[in-house]
Amino acid sequence: MSLLEVDSIDAYYGESHILRDLSLTVEEGEICALLGRNGAGKTTTLRSISGAKPPTVEEGTVQFKGDDITGMHADDVAMQGISLVPEERRVFANLTVAENLEIADVSRNASNTWRRRLTSTGQSMSTDQVYDDFPRLRERKTQIAGTLSGGEQQMLAIARALKQSTDLLLLDEPYEGLAPQIVDDVESAIERINDQGVTILLVEQNAAAAINIADRAYVVDQGATVFRGSADELRADEQTREQYLGV
Amino acid sequence: MSDEPATAAETGEETPADVPGVFTLYGNELKTLIATAIVLALFPFVFARMPVVSDVLQGYQSLTTLILIWGIFALGFDLLLGYTGLLSFGHAAFWGSAAYGAGVFSQHVTGSPVLMVVAGTLVAVLLAWVLGFLSLRRGGIYFAILTLAFAQMLFYMASSPLAFITDGENGFTGVETAELFGMIPLEEDLPSILGELLGTTLYAFVAVLTLLCIALAYRILQSPYGMVFRAIRENEQRAKFVGLNVWRYKLMSFVLSGLFAGIAGSLFTIHGSYVPLSSLYWTESGEVVIMTVLGGTGSLFGPIIGAGLYLYVENIVSGFDTVGPFWHLILGLVFVITIWTFPRGIWGFFQDVRDYITGGDDQ
Repeated sequence: MSLLEVDSIDAYYGESHILRDLSLTVEEGEICALLGRNGAGKTTTLRSISGAKPPTVEEGTVQFKGDDITGMHADDVAMQGISLVPEERRVFANLTVAENLEIADVSRNASNTWRRRLTSTGQSMSTDQVYDDFPRLRERKTQIAGTLSGGEQQMLAIARALKQSTDLLLLDEPYEGLAPQIVDDVESAIERINDQGVTILLVEQNAAAAINIADRAYVVDQGATVFRGSADELRADEQTREQYLGV
Repeated sequence: MSDEPATAAETGEETPADVPGVFTLYGNELKTLIATAIVLALFPFVFARMPVVSDVLQGYQSLTTLILIWGIFALGFDLLLGYTGLLSFGHAAFWGSAAYGAGVFSQHVTGSPVLMVVAGTLVAVLLAWVLGFLSLRRGGIYFAILTLAFAQMLFYMASSPLAFITDGENGFTGVETAELFGMIPLEEDLPSILGELLGTTLYAFVAVLTLLCIALAYRILQSPYGMVFRAIRENEQRAKFVGLNVWRYKLMSFVLSGLFAGIAGSLFTIHGSYVPLSSLYWTESGEVVIMTVLGGTGSLFGPIIGAGLYLYVENIVSGFDTVGPFWHLILGLVFVITIWTFPRGIWGFFQDVRDYITGGDDQ
């Protein structure tokens, strides 16, 4: 059984049909990349998995650890052990760094009626562990998160996701708008948390950077998967790369 | 908030994190409350009796009580508007229903001021639970309109179908407030120095409740709830991604603001010995919005100051021979100018001035 199985889903934003019969699986422990051009349906796929509305999934199923999570509320999905780090502004800009991390504890520690049922089996890191992993966040813990640099905000978003007892981390365009030097930092952070056992589904437009760290890759175009295979196969498949990724 | 409690997650167990007791003090709590108590103790003297100052201000005792009552209302409203980011346009429902609740309770059960506040607040909290449950189904402008519609329904109910209880358009005149703790008349001045400072027992009673309300609001804002409220205000969807049951937190914020409105509404009945039908009218909902925004949303004391300024213009400036007849216009100008120049209200202006002087960012 795969950790995540997306089985031929059709997703809509109102009337517009975005995902057409899209399928993908993510195996436990891997880094899986979901690539494609702007507007191909990558973010819609992540939103469909994480329970964000819109879109609405009208056909097909999303299974996580064998349980059907199709159409579940986003907060419920989060408690199953799936964390989404959304694109662009990823942190609570008006809260401090420490509060951004603490809020993950609030949802974990809340009594049963105050949070969704916690079924995640993933390791939740203590704040200290997180600070050890991201020392720069410790230095800035009393700072308002909105004043951090783009790279630091990305680190903070990943750090918070780790505190949510994550089995599967969904990263939406983690390199967007970051300087090449910072991309390296984020890349090594992603690899580090993957080494600790967190499975990662990575959405990127920057295909070259994503293939670098991915074990496997999917390419989507017009809401359907047009390629699936290992990172090496994608590197070798020049035609797919040119036609759908422009690299 | 810098010291993070170590989570139980390290060991994989879920034990409750360190739960602070009721008497554990957070941050600057003690300092803040002592300063507030001093201001509350000096306010009536400075405003109504101090030579020169009170003459210039033309203040009088009963207005000080009214300012604190509306201050409690606005403080609770700010939990919802300033911290959780929900604009309700129907808070007159809780203010008014608590006022009627306390009044009817005093006529039929007992006139004990403490029990009147309990009864009125209970009515408001239960009502807030129901109306919050129904209104929070929608967000933004739809939420505002739903709350407005429910409040207007209550206004209508009180004006005729329930007139046998409320006396309809005449307002409820049967309020029978007894002595505090069965022995201290509320309207009389306190003895000696206390009388000079605080004036009436009623003021002292309201001031104590105000202090308790501020302490409660401070606690709420320092607790994880306060943090979650601010997170929801910033981005509801992201709060869901963290796994928070946003709807429940919004309902709790709504009920809490209903609680404060209920305390204030009950005190309003005790203060006026009368419940006007207009206490349920939509203009009351509008007034509390204006007070809160004027004083500064997202702050503990801003809304109370906003309430003070609003009532000052309404009750005192309106009596000036020269500009009195134009008091609505003056209030409008004050509001517009404040919001133009200090979007964070009067309290935001104070903070800017303090930061400018000290260069610090401490609370």
